[in-house]
Amino acid sequence: MLPDSILLEFQDRAATIDHPMELVVDLLRAIQEQHGWVPDEGVELAAQILGTSALKVEEIATFYDKIFRQPVGKRVIHLCDSICCWTREAEAILAYLQQKLGIAPGETTADGLFTLLPTCCLGACGEAPAMMIGLTTYGHLTPEKIDAILEQQRAEVAR
Amino acid sequence: MPTLTIDNQSVTVPAGTNVLEAAKGLGIVIPHFCYHEALGAVGACRLCAMKFEAGPVKGIQMACMVEAKDEMVVSTVDPVAAELRAHVIEWLMMNHPHDCPVCDEGGECQLQDMTIAGGHSIRRFRGPKRTFRNQELGPFVVQEMNRCIQCYRCVRTYQDYCGGDDFGVMGSRDRIFYGRFKEGRLESPFSGNIIDVCPTGVFTDKPFRFKSRYWDLEEAPSICPHCSLGCATIPGGRYRELQRVRSGVNREVNGFFICDRGRFGYGHTNHPERPRTPLLGGREVSWDEALSALRERIAQTVATHGPQSVALLGSPRATLEANELLRRWADELGCRLQFEIHPQRDRAARTLAAGLGDKARSLEEIRNADLLILIGADPLAEGPMLALALRQAVRAGGQVAILDPRPVQLPCAAAHLPLAPEQLIPALQALASGAAAAFPRQQAIVLEGLIRQLTQSQRPVLIGGADLLGEAGMAALLAAADKLSSPERPCGVMGLLAGPNSFGGALLSPPEADADGLLDAIQQKTVKALICLEADPFSDHPDPARAQLALAQLEYLAVLDHLPTLAVRRADLLLPTTAPAEGSGCYVNNEGRLLPFAPAIAPGVPIRETGHGDHPPRSFSRETPGSQPRPAWAVLADLLNTSIDLIALRHQIEQAFPSFAGLAALPLEGEGLRVNGPGIAPATVAAVPAPASTGLRLLATETLFGSELLSALSPPLATVTPAPFVLLHPVEAETLGLSNGLQLRLTTPFGFASVALRLSEEMARGLIIAPRLRGTALENLVPGGGLLTCSLSREEAP
Amino acid sequence: MSDAPQLLFKNRRLGETTFLDGYQKTGGYQGLRKAFKEMTPAEVRETVKVAGLRGRGGAGFSTGLKWSFFPADQPGEKYLVCNGDEMEPGTWKDRELLKADPHQLVEGMIISAYALQAPVAYIFIRYAYEECSRNLEQAIAEAKAAGFLGKNILGSDYSLELHVHRSAGRYILGEETALLNGLEGKRPNPRSKPPFPAQRGLFDKPTTVNNVETIANVPHILSGGAQWYKGLALTDGGAGTKLYGLSGHLEHTPCVELPVGIPLRTLVEQVGGGVRGGRKFKACLPGGASTPFLTADQLDVAMDFDPIAAAGSRLGTGCVTVFDDTTCMVAATLNLNRFFARESCGWCTPCRDGLPMVNWLLEKIERGEGTMDDIAMLKDQQRNISGRSFCALAEGAMGPVESLLRLFMDEIEDHVKLGRCPLRTR
Repeated sequence: MLPDSILLEFQDRAATIDHPMELVVDLLRAIQEQHGWVPDEGVELAAQILGTSALKVEEIATFYDKIFRQPVGKRVIHLCDSICCWTREAEAILAYLQQKLGIAPGETTADGLFTLLPTCCLGACGEAPAMMIGLTTYGHLTPEKIDAILEQQRAEVAR
Repeated sequence: MPTLTIDNQSVTVPAGTNVLEAAKGLGIVIPHFCYHEALGAVGACRLCAMKFEAGPVKGIQMACMVEAKDEMVVSTVDPVAAELRAHVIEWLMMNHPHDCPVCDEGGECQLQDMTIAGGHSIRRFRGPKRTFRNQELGPFVVQEMNRCIQCYRCVRTYQDYCGGDDFGVMGSRDRIFYGRFKEGRLESPFSGNIIDVCPTGVFTDKPFRFKSRYWDLEEAPSICPHCSLGCATIPGGRYRELQRVRSGVNREVNGFFICDRGRFGYGHTNHPERPRTPLLGGREVSWDEALSALRERIAQTVATHGPQSVALLGSPRATLEANELLRRWADELGCRLQFEIHPQRDRAARTLAAGLGDKARSLEEIRNADLLILIGADPLAEGPMLALALRQAVRAGGQVAILDPRPVQLPCAAAHLPLAPEQLIPALQALASGAAAAFPRQQAIVLEGLIRQLTQSQRPVLIGGADLLGEAGMAALLAAADKLSSPERPCGVMGLLAGPNSFGGALLSPPEADADGLLDAIQQKTVKALICLEADPFSDHPDPARAQLALAQLEYLAVLDHLPTLAVRRADLLLPTTAPAEGSGCYVNNEGRLLPFAPAIAPGVPIRETGHGDHPPRSFSRETPGSQPRPAWAVLADLLNTSIDLIALRHQIEQAFPSFAGLAALPLEGEGLRVNGPGIAPATVAAVPAPASTGLRLLATETLFGSELLSALSPPLATVTPAPFVLLHPVEAETLGLSNGLQLRLTTPFGFASVALRLSEEMARGLIIAPRLRGTALENLVPGGGLLTCSLSREEAP
Repeated sequence: MSDAPQLLFKNRRLGETTFLDGYQKTGGYQGLRKAFKEMTPAEVRETVKVAGLRGRGGAGFSTGLKWSFFPADQPGEKYLVCNGDEMEPGTWKDRELLKADPHQLVEGMIISAYALQAPVAYIFIRYAYEECSRNLEQAIAEAKAAGFLGKNILGSDYSLELHVHRSAGRYILGEETALLNGLEGKRPNPRSKPPFPAQRGLFDKPTTVNNVETIANVPHILSGGAQWYKGLALTDGGAGTKLYGLSGHLEHTPCVELPVGIPLRTLVEQVGGGVRGGRKFKACLPGGASTPFLTADQLDVAMDFDPIAAAGSRLGTGCVTVFDDTTCMVAATLNLNRFFARESCGWCTPCRDGLPMVNWLLEKIERGEGTMDDIAMLKDQQRNISGRSFCALAEGAMGPVESLLRLFMDEIEDHVKLGRCPLRTR
């Protein structure tokens, strides 16, 4: 669930700081970074490290939309559906992505590569329409650009 | 004390009161969901919106979130506020399923009440409703999340008030979900309270599910009989079956909540083997015949062998009135009287009742205490709602320390020092004297810390349990509190006793009463006839072997009871009495508080059983089947040839005992009344020296589920009662080559038992701790009788 | 606009991030030196107050006043928290700042924490701004190494621990008390106020929460002086410069720094190059999704807090989203309201359930299935949500809804009368 060095680091910090729960989001993100998403075992591990119950960690994990408690593809595509992107053809971009990937929002491609999710404003409004894959934001999207980005992502995953 | 105007009426309230509570004082119910007196105001539902027309606060505000201040002018009927409230109801009803026809909450549903009161009827929202998949939450609570209105009361009760951490709130926006991480039984011993606080039908009583509509239930204010704390409860029954218990309100005792033992322990009332007809030598007889037989037999015995040949045994679970009439009968006969057959519990209770006086602290006072030291007390086992009160003290900044050989668990932070049982009295003396040097260094450090905390505390309370402290320990507890008290800074005491009326029995007890003496007299055949009032000397003496040997010498045993006990089975004459929910009476709780209760149902075999599947039943009778049980006090009044009603009886008790002043006028559903004056300390008896022993000694203990007599007979609690186990410290386990989880053979002076081994670092060394589990091989390990020799060995291969 | 003073974007260069060397070359950390060498904490606070700085996160509360509530002289735990949870749709100015010039915020944080005498400070960054978090971490390490941060800064007896805290999504974290709950590792519902964070904030200790852009102004106020800073604004009530983001139906959608009080028209026509494709200006959000619409009659309003409030809206984040005449305002409002409904934390009824009710009504109307009763109901919803919720999220959601009903009633009624969206020809 976590590489040893990171596990030790969190255990150290949890033991030394006054309020271990301060680390819960960091810990969930670290587990997700390693595993792609946070399974039940991840919640239980976090609870153990923080000295609390799995339920108390789950209360946090299920609040945040960027913590995935279900499996996701190797790359998660967050497509903005807020107002600025909406004015700049985001709905058409969504249609294109659905058609290109063959999935609806919330679904993962059959090859396990891409999950498509809507997201609220990414803070790239000057480059609308925009999407974020992983933690990288791409703006000024067009079908051609999307094709190129997806190819690049595929190549990275293959490596 | 601010004075404010609500709907043109003036009201003055204590400082700090919120406007919603202030309105309550005027009889105005401001609609609300998330506000709860015990849980506080959080401002989530927005239903209590009122118009603040003048004063320091103006405009539309949430009444529960605004502190009442002078010159506030509030309107509950302002149209803008009313419109908002109507919208809040409509919003909450957007997703609410049309479940009323199938929902248990109906009739006692705050959502129904507020919705109708708000004038909401037609659903305008035609969008899809959000729905959930429900979780299995165990044997006590059913979940139906679609009904949820997100008031957050359940999580605030379960986590904040009761300290649970396996149930909470997940998700966000209109998909908030209250539940567990994974399906499974709710772990908190106070889980049932979410049933009471939920304003709609999300969390309902599982054993009660689909049995009755609220308006068909017969309910009455009652007092829980399952420990000595005396929590207010409201049992509800229908068709002669006691079907559920919900929490009553007593702000001085349990507040608004009860524990799961009290909530689900009522099954004894419906027990199929419960004595329901008078039996004479095993033969069903009428009441008249039974009572004459008893009168005759007693008269004969007294005439032949003198008054001392008869003994009357009362009970810590019989009502004050019944115990008092027993005392009167003993007076009349001039015979022996004993209120508790367990010698140590008896003497400890009488010591407490004699010495408690002003040092008594209610649970409410404990909730507000700043330092609580438990010496030989295990609240979750011996008085669960005390554990909850301790938690509230900690939440308010108080501190809890535990000196006990057992691994005492609490739903709050507490410092635990595992002392051996024989160290408890020296520890009390150390706390009182301020000198802990006699203790080993590590323990002395902890005790010195407590001594310091005591000097710094403002409202300290010492809490002791009768089972581990015994008479001497109880005396030491009271002496320590006396020593630690000053006029400016008194130190309080709470003692945990065995039964709901242990304190009452202790107050009525003659000073020379001596349980061991009684057993001796029976053994020696000086006492030939024994009459037991709701007591079972076969099972409740700490040396059951000795007790049973002695009792076998009796010529005559008459028993009044409502439970299928050993004594009932051995009785020559059996008089069936009413269960607590079927009778009126009064208990005196461990704080000396008089608590009256009224009957919810009349006794009778539950209708669903009478036919045994046949339709219709073939035997006909004028009397309702199983309706013969009578209140014990009424039976005794008959035996004494007095016709008297309960109120008159209470007046007489008041006159005979000034301590019980105010008893007759006590209202139901109030806070009760502390007894006015102490009992009489027991006369000294020679202490029996503890037998010397090497090796492990066994400490028998009560547990939350399975030990207490009445609740052990309740089917809903059967699933949560543990299988026999023992606790051992890992160091001892290693020496014996035993590991956690092994199935072992426990040998005690009372026999063998197959037990699972559990290791615990939190317990004192040199002990095996075994729970008394009725109906199992550990049945005979009665707590409070000191330590037993014992051994553990591996089970022989089959 | 090339002559507009560039304070916040002084070091911004396309595709580059300025770190310590570059930052110091253009005068970086002079404000800090001045604060530590020449001023007491009280004097720094006074300077910021006189400079008239108002919060740049959306609420526009006077920073000097907010700081005055904070018990700077009380010993013990106290916190300064920087709100970098920029998630207001239409807003990306803080991202631009942190992409370009992380030291500016770091310097601002140190000076501000010094002023407030807070020994620990946090910068709370939204999930999507990972690059910004890394920039900040690098800048913090550089600042520490250079003696601007850590123990006994510049030889004074003031020490500061500065942490970056990353979030995991959800708009409500931008609400200051929800942010504090999130920082503590609790469910990030907002808290009721009072008590205010200045009395009981992070871990129940005195805390001040300020926006990224607000703090980034502090070094400039100190190095240039309060009067100079105040004088940069074009309006009498305004102070300093502002970052303005432009988005929506414009030819250009940059993020620029201009004096407070610049006319909206200047932003739309000059900086944004006018409505794209030569179309007409129909409406705009002047400061993010939670501000009421402004229409063409209000194009001359000065982009400052009080003038825009007088025009029936709010300056908010100052990031403008423009809608041309092909835009259905009902559909735009629906998009905005769907955002707010999805981001509701779920605590209080008007937001959690009221916003979905509004969604349902707007969807019905936009689909052409609405009735006049639905419009009346929508008005009722708005009236009973505005000002009635536990925090400002639902309040913000009602900004566009209220202005839709006020400014575009004809368009709404056309949906009902035509049985379809009037802007769709099919």
